[in-house]
Amino acid sequence: MIGVLSYLIFFLILALTFGIAVMGLNLQWGFTGLFNAGVAGFLAVGGYTHAILTGPARDAVFGGFELPFIVGLLGAMVAAGVVAIIVGLVTLRLRDEYLAVATFGIAVSIQLVAVNWEYMTGGTLGLIGIPNPSKVLADGPLRQNAIYLALVVGVTLLAYIGLQRIVQSPWGRVLKAIREDEVAASSLGKNPTRVRLEAFTLGCSLMGLSGALYVGFIGFVGATDFLPIITFQIWTMLIVGGSGNMKGAILGAMIVWGVWTGSGFAISKVVAPEWQAQSGALQAVLIGLILVLTLLMRPKGMIGEDVTVSRHATDL
Amino acid sequence: MTGLIKGCALALAATICIAGGANAQDCPVKLGAILPVSGPMGQVGERISNTGAFAVKLFNEAGGVKGCPVEYVLRDTQGQSAIGVDAAKSLVDLEGVAALIGAVSSGVSLPVLTSVAVPSKVVQVSCCSSSESFTALAEEGKTEGYWFRTYATNRSQSAMGAKLAIDSGFKKTAVIYVNTDFGVGLAKRFEDDIAKLGGTITSSVAYNESQQSYRAEVTKALEGEPDSLFLVAFPVDGATITREWLALGGTDNLIVNNSLRSDDYIQAVGAQYLTNLVGYDSAQPRVASVDTFNELFEAEFDGPPDGPGLHSVFDAVNVVLLAMEQSDEITGDNIREGIRAVTADGGTEVYPGVEGIQRAKELIAAGEAIRYVGATGALQFDANGDVQAPKMTWKLDGETNVETGYMSTEEVAELIKMLDAN
Repeated sequence: MIGVLSYLIFFLILALTFGIAVMGLNLQWGFTGLFNAGVAGFLAVGGYTHAILTGPARDAVFGGFELPFIVGLLGAMVAAGVVAIIVGLVTLRLRDEYLAVATFGIAVSIQLVAVNWEYMTGGTLGLIGIPNPSKVLADGPLRQNAIYLALVVGVTLLAYIGLQRIVQSPWGRVLKAIREDEVAASSLGKNPTRVRLEAFTLGCSLMGLSGALYVGFIGFVGATDFLPIITFQIWTMLIVGGSGNMKGAILGAMIVWGVWTGSGFAISKVVAPEWQAQSGALQAVLIGLILVLTLLMRPKGMIGEDVTVSRHATDL
Repeated sequence: MTGLIKGCALALAATICIAGGANAQDCPVKLGAILPVSGPMGQVGERISNTGAFAVKLFNEAGGVKGCPVEYVLRDTQGQSAIGVDAAKSLVDLEGVAALIGAVSSGVSLPVLTSVAVPSKVVQVSCCSSSESFTALAEEGKTEGYWFRTYATNRSQSAMGAKLAIDSGFKKTAVIYVNTDFGVGLAKRFEDDIAKLGGTITSSVAYNESQQSYRAEVTKALEGEPDSLFLVAFPVDGATITREWLALGGTDNLIVNNSLRSDDYIQAVGAQYLTNLVGYDSAQPRVASVDTFNELFEAEFDGPPDGPGLHSVFDAVNVVLLAMEQSDEITGDNIREGIRAVTADGGTEVYPGVEGIQRAKELIAAGEAIRYVGATGALQFDANGDVQAPKMTWKLDGETNVETGYMSTEEVAELIKMLDAN
């Protein structure tokens, strides 16, 4: 059953990579109440930054600095964070659906920039030959992927532990205060605009990290890698897993990516090839169904929000 | 911290696991296909997939591979790279396929190639991906020979477009092209090619796919009073653009790329408005094998094999299956060598169809070299896995498209050589 193990490793790499972006979104939506509909754009910023920093030099294309993998990851976080600050300064005074529309527009703009700015992104040809560090450490796809999985697991744990500490800190409680009642929070002397910007930036830099891990694994980045539908996928993962809970974010990524890929597998097993065009639509319906069922039956997701907001609260 | 320790232990255990024996040779032999049968490329992808399945069906009627029936396992990419990559990995790991057919768009084929096919030593043969990135990757040795495509590269397409424009007597051509690797590469080359043949470009406008209207792009392309339009598009968007172009007063001197030789496009615009349209397409060489395929296709699907990728996917499936038949054991490495063996010069020619495949199997069993000549003629893969194809030109006669000219592989090569030399 080497095949099953090999596929499982591959599956986990992608699911956890998405999970990191879901945690970033969770910080924004689950804790702070920011409706970021531009997830795909920040994934793209991270992915392209990683490719430019670590990829091989190309004629007529900027970048190809061949820097170490870790520099690519950190650079991706910084780049996505910087874009988030710029976007945030412009849009964060907007609320709810207005913010959603603005961020969605920004994601589409980023994708169009990726398609059209050939000097930076390789345009529609994309950037090829992005090195995957596991390739030099081991032979054979199974070992290589296992090493990459270990790396993704490590990054996920770091992000998880870091975020848990942050959201349990006084700053984390301010996030929730802003989410629940912004006026009340500011009457307590907190600066909601600033805190919202901080949460937005941190969340987006995690999305950038996720994009970088994806590109580092695939070895290629192209303009069609970060279509707006990815935003929908990440959001579904958060809602199904449980917004306001970091464990829920990771679980949601596993479940939704599992259903998405598992339904494709099941359809190819059950449905004859000539009918698959019709059943492809069924797959989209299935995801929608899970989302609606979650909202109806478990509105807080698989794992709901922790009621305790401070780790000192239990000491009492 | 226990979580961290547990995580590390899990990862370590996974790392220690050793990649063991390859997939066992049981019946049926599985052939993986990763194609966009739903999503924006769904219309095109579905026909391609059905043609691939048809090739498998014929091969099975001829006795299958090594006495085993071949199972065509299709996974839908939905046109998304992450889904396509996962589908390919699942075909390789869970279904045990040693060869993949697909994908259609280069944006999906490339991630599949770099993250699944090459590391897993699985052959990938695409019917339709035209990006120049594949050639670049192959030249760097990063495809390790596992990549093939039965679809001729863009190079000849721009040359054909430019030749059509000049032969039709057009002097000032506007270009509207789809903003994908396919369209960008083609439009860029077209500008060079037409200049060398003595024409000029008034404007070159990219459009992004799946928009409701292309009024802005069309308006921009109308500037400079072009006497003709070179349209590089796919049927649905191409029809929208053509309607708006004509409605806004654009000339009906249209030159269209291969994808628009499709009834979907012609019916959506209306054949009566397209009387001055000329187009080119990959042609099948004037050999009997092509007629054989066309007849087989017509009998099966009740219509001619018009549309992108149909001939090339048929051949992609056949060369892979013949390469499997040729191999002692069905592995990616053997198929990689086998594809070159069954298309090499000097072998006895074999053709598509049940009898042709049966003959091929007999020759292989007798240890003789074969050369597959199929729906796209005799395939000649170069070192990078690329092929060249003959071209044809066409126009509309009433509702039906009729051929107006034909250029053999050699003539196409000569045209390209002339354009590159100047």
